[in-house]
Amino acid sequence: MTRAESSGLRLNLTLALLIIVLAVISLMVGPAALSPREALVGLFGGDGAAAIIVRDIRLPRTLLAILIGATFGLAGAALQGLLRNPLAEPALFGAPQAASVGASFVIAYGLAGATSFAVPVAGIAGALVSIGGLVAIAGRRASLSVTLLAGLALASLAGAATALILNLAPTPYAALEIAFWLLGSLEDRSVDHLLIATPFFVASWLLLALNVQAFRALTLGEDAAASLGVDVGRTRLMVVIGVALGVGASVAVAGSIGFIGLVAPHLVRRAVGSDPARVCLPATLMGAVLLIAADIGVRLVPANPNATAVEIKLGVVTALIGVPFFLAMIFRERRLLDGAPS
Amino acid sequence: MTAKPKLDAAGVVVRLGDALIVDGAALDLRAGELTVLIGPNGAGKTTLMRALAGLIPAEGRIDIDGRSLSALTIRERARRIAYLPQGHVFHWPMPVADVVALGRYPHADAFSMPTDDDRHAVKKALAATGTETFANRPVTTLSGGERARVALARALACEAPILLADEPTVSLDPRHQLVVMELLARAAHDGGAVLAIGHDLALAARFADRIVIMDRGRLVADGKPRDVLTAERIASVFGVEAVMTDDAIGPHPILLRPL
Repeated sequence: MTRAESSGLRLNLTLALLIIVLAVISLMVGPAALSPREALVGLFGGDGAAAIIVRDIRLPRTLLAILIGATFGLAGAALQGLLRNPLAEPALFGAPQAASVGASFVIAYGLAGATSFAVPVAGIAGALVSIGGLVAIAGRRASLSVTLLAGLALASLAGAATALILNLAPTPYAALEIAFWLLGSLEDRSVDHLLIATPFFVASWLLLALNVQAFRALTLGEDAAASLGVDVGRTRLMVVIGVALGVGASVAVAGSIGFIGLVAPHLVRRAVGSDPARVCLPATLMGAVLLIAADIGVRLVPANPNATAVEIKLGVVTALIGVPFFLAMIFRERRLLDGAPS
Repeated sequence: MTAKPKLDAAGVVVRLGDALIVDGAALDLRAGELTVLIGPNGAGKTTLMRALAGLIPAEGRIDIDGRSLSALTIRERARRIAYLPQGHVFHWPMPVADVVALGRYPHADAFSMPTDDDRHAVKKALAATGTETFANRPVTTLSGGERARVALARALACEAPILLADEPTVSLDPRHQLVVMELLARAAHDGGAVLAIGHDLALAARFADRIVIMDRGRLVADGKPRDVLTAERIASVFGVEAVMTDDAIGPHPILLRPL
């Protein structure tokens, strides 16, 4: 085993352990605090109040945090691998915003219940348009500035479209409901949410995992990768669809949660020698760690009891942490952004 | 030179949009031969090479070992043709050894571990290019000359019978230009069919077994350096006044002034 391989293995094991520990904490934390023992007894048996709280309220939420965080971590690593660009992230490409357009349209006009498959499907369609559009615009060279500018434009367009849907919402309650849902939260999510989103997450992971080796070859650029036997067009299509499936389904059940895809790969990249293939697994695990930690965080921060929302919104927390992080990365990559092709 | 060519192309036409970039090129590449393709900027050299590598669609006939290029799977093609694009691009700061190991990509399955053959080929490519001393350094921290050698090592690690190299010596200092050309010549004399695009006529004259000259989409000359590089042709193709000297080492063009 090379040094990068053994440090990668150690990292993956540590992150997996961390997910388990955080998951147990996540089952304990909430308005009714439980001890680790109560939480585990409630999870694996028993039929008291603790069992109901753990199994019906906190378990779906915890599992969704793991699945969504992992999906965003992998989606970020995959987009970065495809575009050879450490600043690539679904939220910067307007993907969650565009998914929100699709999903909020369905919800605002009552076309379907909030836990029907129509919501993730509409979200996926929105995400597909934005990521597909971005990859098409960024094109073969995928320069940093073109990619980010196109992402900015698509995100703005999606934001405007969502605002339009809010403006035209049939009732103010519908508008308020969508506005809060858009901020991103895992509060009060049920097993139904888990069931409608999971098939799309699994499909997303499979599509992205199949292309992991291609990301490594793409470090040489698209022509060299193609000459090595990578079907670049197919890889691009599979990544676009894979990311759209994951982001669309996430947004459909949890609203807009950003920046996990940017932060997670960055935190683990050095440990695996910057290898865009080897970064994928730890980035996936790190994404789960980050989101479950953030979701524990929103439950620990006391919110104003008179406000409409009981908790700080999860999407707000990830953006508050993610955006300064992003700015710091731009600061470091300034030289690349100053016109030099990436 | 009677062996069957590794790569045999005729009537190759490439259009990009409405523009005719390559206009009926015929070219064969033989094992043991270093062919250098020269021509002015915009002559279509890179486009022709990308067509020969199967990276862009082209009309005409391109055969690899007697089989049509378009009939090969992408993987079969990758094992037969190593392609070194311009610019020596490395997007991620991966260790040099891992970059060179990418040359083994066509030989591996998606999830298979490196075999002894793979390790041997990587080691050989690192040694041949003198890059083993910095095999563990991130490739993005290297100088231009070092990066060029790593890029070449990656292409050599493919161990493909055909090697296509687009401007492998560009932006290198004189010593590294010679190092890279010697490596290409050695790859050819070890049995490879090597085609390199170049701009330095003296370098081409010094190392090429064969020179092919391209001008405005057409191949206008193909032969031994001594026969192909003449003052008249340099004037008509490159618009440069030159005198040719010739000695025991070979023909040397001396470029005087633009016409």
